[in-house]
Amino acid sequence: MNQEPRASQGNLRRTAGRQLIYLGLASLVGFGSLMWALASLSEGVAGSALDAIAGSVTLALSEEPPQLDSSRATDTVSGQILGHVMEGLLRYDEFNRIVPGVAERWEIGATKATFWLRDDAFWSDGSRITAHDFVFAWQTALDPQTASEYAFILYPIKNAEAINNGQLDTAALGVTALNDKTLLVRLERPVAYFNSLLVFPTYFPIKQSFYEKRQGRYGADASELLYNGPFVIEKWVHGSQLRMVRNSHYWDRNRIRLNVIDYAYITSDVNATLNLFKDGKIAIAGLNSENLDDALQRRWKLERFNEGCVGYISFNHRSGRLTRNRHLRKAMQLAMDTNELVYKVVAMPGNLPGVSFFPVWLQGVERRFRQEFPAPETQVDITQARFYLAQAKKELGLDEWRPLTFLTGDRATTNKISEYLQQEFKEKLGLDIAIDRQIFKQRLAKMSSGDFDMVLAGWCPDYADPLTFGDLFASWNKNNRGEYKNPELDQWVRIAQNSLEPHTRMNAFSKIQKIIHLEAVILPTYETGSVYVRDPRLKGVVKRAVGMDSDYSNAYIDG
Amino acid sequence: MEASFSFERTETIARAVTTTRPSLTYWQDAWRRFKANPRSLISLYIIVTIGLFTLVGPWVWTINPMLQDLDQISVPPGADRRARVVEPHVRWAITETPWTTSTTQLAVIGEATTQAVRLAWNPVAGASGYRVYRDIAEPNSPDALGLPLTDIVNAKITGFEDRLDLKPRTYFYSVVALSSKGFELKEHATLAVEVTRVITVNEAIARGLSELDESSLIGETVYLDFHPLGTDYLGRDMLARLMHGARVSLFIGVVAPFIYVLIGILYGSIAGFVAGRWDQLLMRFADFVVALPFLLFMILFKIIFNTEPGESGIFAMLLAMILLSWPATARLVRGQILQIREEAYIGASRLLGAGSMYLILRHMIPNTMGVILVTLTFAVPGAIFTEAFLSFIGMGVAPPNPSWGSMCNEGIKTMLTAPHELVFPAVFISLTVLVFNLLGDGLRDALDTRMRSD
Repeated sequence: MNQEPRASQGNLRRTAGRQLIYLGLASLVGFGSLMWALASLSEGVAGSALDAIAGSVTLALSEEPPQLDSSRATDTVSGQILGHVMEGLLRYDEFNRIVPGVAERWEIGATKATFWLRDDAFWSDGSRITAHDFVFAWQTALDPQTASEYAFILYPIKNAEAINNGQLDTAALGVTALNDKTLLVRLERPVAYFNSLLVFPTYFPIKQSFYEKRQGRYGADASELLYNGPFVIEKWVHGSQLRMVRNSHYWDRNRIRLNVIDYAYITSDVNATLNLFKDGKIAIAGLNSENLDDALQRRWKLERFNEGCVGYISFNHRSGRLTRNRHLRKAMQLAMDTNELVYKVVAMPGNLPGVSFFPVWLQGVERRFRQEFPAPETQVDITQARFYLAQAKKELGLDEWRPLTFLTGDRATTNKISEYLQQEFKEKLGLDIAIDRQIFKQRLAKMSSGDFDMVLAGWCPDYADPLTFGDLFASWNKNNRGEYKNPELDQWVRIAQNSLEPHTRMNAFSKIQKIIHLEAVILPTYETGSVYVRDPRLKGVVKRAVGMDSDYSNAYIDG
Repeated sequence: MEASFSFERTETIARAVTTTRPSLTYWQDAWRRFKANPRSLISLYIIVTIGLFTLVGPWVWTINPMLQDLDQISVPPGADRRARVVEPHVRWAITETPWTTSTTQLAVIGEATTQAVRLAWNPVAGASGYRVYRDIAEPNSPDALGLPLTDIVNAKITGFEDRLDLKPRTYFYSVVALSSKGFELKEHATLAVEVTRVITVNEAIARGLSELDESSLIGETVYLDFHPLGTDYLGRDMLARLMHGARVSLFIGVVAPFIYVLIGILYGSIAGFVAGRWDQLLMRFADFVVALPFLLFMILFKIIFNTEPGESGIFAMLLAMILLSWPATARLVRGQILQIREEAYIGASRLLGAGSMYLILRHMIPNTMGVILVTLTFAVPGAIFTEAFLSFIGMGVAPPNPSWGSMCNEGIKTMLTAPHELVFPAVFISLTVLVFNLLGDGLRDALDTRMRSD
């Protein structure tokens, strides 16, 4: 009360200001020292990615496999894991040649194939792998109750298709175990590429007694799976870790130099992956357009890898869907500028603008398929696109366009692409696109149930033949998620499947290429490639377009 | 009739003013105290500015926040906008004819622009193919030549057209010959290439960058669209997106607290007024609501309302907030009312025949107004932050609509290369939350004399 109020307030303000400065300084210093402490701490733990003594490699996995039942696996992540923990009759070696796997030797003829299994091929429980395990696995995959989306890959086997359609009993499958060690396969038709099919997960063996004991849980967890590959899954913490260790029962165990492959991180965030690489916590990291400059400034050696996959927009052709209308699809085809999409929006090195569903690397008769049969060119033409759109509107009897549901994944790149296309179609065609972002599992589920108009999808080759792309839109193919049905395309697929004559087959593929373009069955967006950094001490990693993405079974740590 | 009394009104004697200072109402007094606090005043000004930014901004800055300027992707504020107009790109048909020159190993064909850089080089004897690299600094070791752009598997092809994400800067291109097994040979040639920014003539006309017609425009220098706060990963204007994003953020931030504080006042005052067993019952129900998890309800509402893909989850968010956040206010108001109902003036009013409703509305709620206002101002930043958080994890607005939270989510992916995409929305969220908090602080000091800190 004695003090003059004004002065007191001024004093107060001054002390408050001083307090603020002190506190600010103190927090800054505190924060700085905390960061420094953390940084120096993390220096200490760095470098756990490679352990030469323990022979262990730590890596990051982009997504978690939905499950690991080889008869039902569809996605590349499952393929990546299954390729390390299972082995089929044949396998790829480090030079991408097909070499003996469980089968010691084999004979493939026009109508039948015989496989002689090796003596020393064991399951991870110590029991012998028999020809019956293959018979059971293939019958299971074809059983309509299994609802395997990859059953079609077994169709070259006699009666496979009829069994899968429920017309015949699974016992009618043209596969016989002559004895425990001899497998006889009768073929529906001559198949030029049958040996490259045998490398595929659906052709892997499954032990019947083990499978049946699991009561539908087969492949759902580390303990719910019996292994016969170079590695076994030691630990599978769903959503966070998948650790594989060397399989002591594997017949060719001396070939394997790594003891542990530890997918200690499951994340699709490329920045997070790169930070893990910087901290020496993982041995390989992919790059994207955002962190590319950072990687360049660090003077790392960057490597490029042609993934061989094709990204595309798949339309829903089910009845009642707007996208069933050809003119609507044509309009979108003409409005989409894949050059801009690939070079400016995605801006990821290694990608090529999508021109055709058949990627450039596929082999044709003598040269590359696309050199022999160039893809029909699409020039962006908005006037024509709007004309088609008006026609589509008339045909569908619409007053206003309903928003189209665009199903996409939840990765940064897919977000970019979907938002870019959303605005492009809005601006150029006046179409409203509603983006439906879903995680991988959910996206696959929605694709299977047909809950979409358009979906941002990708297709990676299963075997080294154009047919792996060519038969995707056949009406019987379960991976034809848009349920496109065209008897003419089906007929060309049949020709490509049944013929052994390269010219006839490639011609059929060119017809399929033309139909896909003319009918705008799908819109190819880009052919995928990727750029990555690798710890230079990790050697012998094989990256291939067909089969597993990265094969670590021949890898070793140098130094 | 002649003589009549005429009454005249006497002048009212002005009563002497007894007060020496002007009488102040509660609000005037509060306002006086509030004004004396510069911190709260500044906060108030900032809030008004943000309000104007949100409501008036889009009329002043009329750029469409969804418009993609693909010539200016992830451009920071104040970047160089000059670009030369060129003809549309035509694919370079590279033939197998070897390109030879006597002067250099590696050269640029034509002009190096952001549209394309065309390289050609002398064939290397014994090569089975070539690998082209691009670096942003001069390579100092043959082991790290930069970004591998392509592998050319045909030794006869000695040219390459680079179109990948070209920025106006200097690039260092290197070409390495590959052995027959696909390994890199020792020989490599490096060339520094200066890339200039260009825009195609049809783009320039479509965007209205110049008055000139097509033929005379080519070769001219134009200024690309101005983006004061830069652009995001699709070349969308950050300022426009911040303005539109603010609408969502502030809508949630203001509407949700307003409604739930209102519900809380009604609920709390009823509970406080009836007291006794009913009060116990009502307040235990409020305790029950407090225990409900917000995020779970938010997801449940999204499912119940069958939010289609592409629709925003804003309504579900609003509803979840309103239904779950009122108990805090209710408790506070109930406490106040319990106290007030025992005051003497309430008893007096009751004796004069005032009804319950009259008592609540006339005496009790106005007397709790200070507390209510303070709660409201503290609730606003909480709600803004919740919205930002939910949009950040993808539960809020649907693309392409922006909100501050979703902009942060997008910006964090390019945090290292284009920090402005994260910094601006983050600053707006922080600033708004801070000023509302400071305002609440000031209001508390001004309105609630018992709680004053000084």
